[in-house]
Amino acid sequence: MGRSVEPAVTPHVAVTSLSKRFGASTVLDRVDLSVERGALVTLLGPSGCGKTTLLRLIAGLTAPDEGSIVIGGVDVTRMPPHKRNVGVVFQSYALFPHLTVAGNVSFGLKGKSLSRAEMAAKVQRALSLVQMERFGDRPVRALSGGQQQRVALARALAVEPNVLLFDEALSALDRNLRETMQIELRRLLKDIDATAIFVTHDQDEALTMSDKVAVMNAGRIEQFDDPVRLYARPRSLFTTRFVGVSSELRGTVAARQAGQLRIDTPQGPVLAEGDLPTGAAAVVSIRPENVAIGASDDQERNRIEGRVRSVIFQGPRSRVAVDVGASADFIVEVGGISTPPSPGDAIVLSWPASRSFAFADARQAA
Amino acid sequence: MSRALEEAAAPPRLAFRAPQFSAGVLLALPAVLILVVLYAVPLARLMASSFVGPSGLGFEAYDRILGDPYGRSLVWNSVRLGALTTVVALIVGYPAAFGLAFARGALRSLFLASLFLPLAASVIVKSFAWSTLMRSHGVVNGVLMTLHLTHAPIRLLFTQFSLISGAVNIFLPFMILPIYTVVAQIDPILTEAAATLGASPARAFMRVVAPLSLPGVVAGVSIVFSLSVSAYVVPTLLMGESYPTLATTIARAFLLLRDPALGSAAGAILMAIGLVVVVLSRRFGEGDVGR
Repeated sequence: MGRSVEPAVTPHVAVTSLSKRFGASTVLDRVDLSVERGALVTLLGPSGCGKTTLLRLIAGLTAPDEGSIVIGGVDVTRMPPHKRNVGVVFQSYALFPHLTVAGNVSFGLKGKSLSRAEMAAKVQRALSLVQMERFGDRPVRALSGGQQQRVALARALAVEPNVLLFDEALSALDRNLRETMQIELRRLLKDIDATAIFVTHDQDEALTMSDKVAVMNAGRIEQFDDPVRLYARPRSLFTTRFVGVSSELRGTVAARQAGQLRIDTPQGPVLAEGDLPTGAAAVVSIRPENVAIGASDDQERNRIEGRVRSVIFQGPRSRVAVDVGASADFIVEVGGISTPPSPGDAIVLSWPASRSFAFADARQAA
Repeated sequence: MSRALEEAAAPPRLAFRAPQFSAGVLLALPAVLILVVLYAVPLARLMASSFVGPSGLGFEAYDRILGDPYGRSLVWNSVRLGALTTVVALIVGYPAAFGLAFARGALRSLFLASLFLPLAASVIVKSFAWSTLMRSHGVVNGVLMTLHLTHAPIRLLFTQFSLISGAVNIFLPFMILPIYTVVAQIDPILTEAAATLGASPARAFMRVVAPLSLPGVVAGVSIVFSLSVSAYVVPTLLMGESYPTLATTIARAFLLLRDPALGSAAGAILMAIGLVVVVLSRRFGEGDVGR
C-alpha cells in the first residue's frame, strides 16, 4: 500500500475541525478526517471515544457544534439526513418490521420516480449482492440475525449512496458468522467500489476490513494509518495499548543517539524509537512476538533478565509471562518449533531496539 | 427478536408445551368461571328472551325497533354517539399518545397520572361534573362572558356539543392508553433509518411510524366505540330525554315498560353493532401490516 506519500487526492468524505458537545462534555474535539473514494475506513476506539457520534454527524442524524462535513464535493454540514444520500447499516439493523424483505429494500427507492420494473430490478440486484434474492417476499421478522444483517446492507446499497456507514454493524452476530461476514463484506464493498466508514470497538474487525484505521480516544483521532503501520508503528501509548498486546517498561531518557533514545529502566538500559527530551519520564512498549528468549550479542538488541511466572498454551503458540521486576509481567510469545520454558526458570529476553517504542509517561508526573 | 422466534420454534421447547398448557388453564380458570356464570349464561337468556313476543317465538321485538322510524332513530343515535366520540377521541388522542411517549421524567408521570386518575372517578360523577361545567351559569359560560366572547349565556347543556365533548372527555383515556403503549415500543432508530433512506420527516411518519402505530389505533377505536355506542349514563345525564339511544331504551324497557323482549332485542342489536366495528377495525389493522 505504498501510496501514502502521494499528494493528497481530493477526499470523497472530508471532515474538518468537527466538534460536538453534549452538555458539559465534549464528545468530539476538532476532529479532521478524510476518506478517499473507494476506501474502507474504520473508526476504532473504546466506548465513549466519540466514534459513533462522528458517524452520526456524517449521516446527519446529529448536528455538529463546529466544523464542516463535505461528501462528494458538497458541503452537507447543515443538510438534513434525508438529502445526504448516505447509506447507514445500524447495529440493531433497524429493519422496518411491518414490511417484507423487498419492502425494506425498496423503501429508499420509493421517492425516486422509478418505474415498477426499474424498482423491481434494483431491489433484486441489491438482494442478489447479499445472496438474499430468494427472500424478497418474506417478512423480516422471520429472518435470522445474519439474514437481517444482509437485508439491512441490501437496503443501504439499493439507494446507491455516496458513502456507506456501518455502526457496529457486525457486533450482534456470533463470532464465526462475524468473521465470515468481515471477509465477505470487504470483498463485496471492493467489488462495487463503495466508500465505507465502519465504527467498531473490535480491533480484529478493524484490521481485517479496513484500508485505513482511525484510532479514537476521548473525542480525538490518535492515529489514522493503514492497519500494518498502525500495528507496527503506533504513534501514541493509547494506540499501542488499544491495538494488540504489548509489554511496558518505565524509565528516564538518558541520552539521544543515532535517532534512538537510550532509556534507563530498573531492568537496565534500553534502546527505543521515539522523540523525547533527555531527562523525560518514558514508557517503552514492546510487542510480545518481537521478543526472543535467550541471550544475544547483537548491539542492536535490548536485553533484560527475568523469571518465568506462567506459561499459557494457546495452540499454535504459547504466551509466557515473565517477572522482570516491573509493575506488570513482560509478555513473550513462543511459537513454532521452540520449546517454551517452565515456570520458575531464570531467562534472558532480547528484542531489536527498532521494535521498541518510547512514549512520554503521563503517570510519572504524579 | 428473531432469536426469540427461533427458540420458540425449536423442537425441545415442545416437550414443555403440555405443562404450560395446563398451568395456563388453571390460571385462567377463575376468570373463565366468572365470565361463564355471570356473563355467558345471562347473555344467552337475554338473547333467548329477545325472540319471545306476545304471539309466541319470532322477530317481533326486532321488528318494533328496526321496522319503525322511531326505533331506527334509536339505532342511529347510538351509532352516531359512538362514531362521533370515537372519531373525535382519535383526533385528540392520537397526538396526545405521542406526546406521552416522547415525554420523560416528571412530565411523563404527570401525563400518566392525569390519564389514570380520572378513571378512578365514576362515570356518573364525571357526567354530573361535565353538566355543571356546561350549565347556563356554569364555568364555561362564565369564562366566555368574562372574555366578552358572548353577552348572554350560550345554551350548551342538552346540545350535541356537550354530549360529544362529554363522551370524549370520559372515554379519551381508553383511546390514548392503547396507542401510547404501542407507540412507546416503536424504536426511534427506525425513523432515523427512514431518514438515511431519503425519507423526509413527514414521509418517515406516514410510511413507518403510522403503520406501526396501527395496532394501538385499532385497539383504541374498538374500546372507545364499544364503550360510547352503549353508553347510558353519558347521554342520560347530558341530554336527558332528548337523545334516546339503544342503551337508554334498554333501561326504559326493563325498568319502566316491563318489556323484556324489547330490551333484549335492543341489547342484541347494540352488541351486533359493537362486534361489527371491532371485527372490521381488526381486519383493517391486519390488512395494512401485511402490505
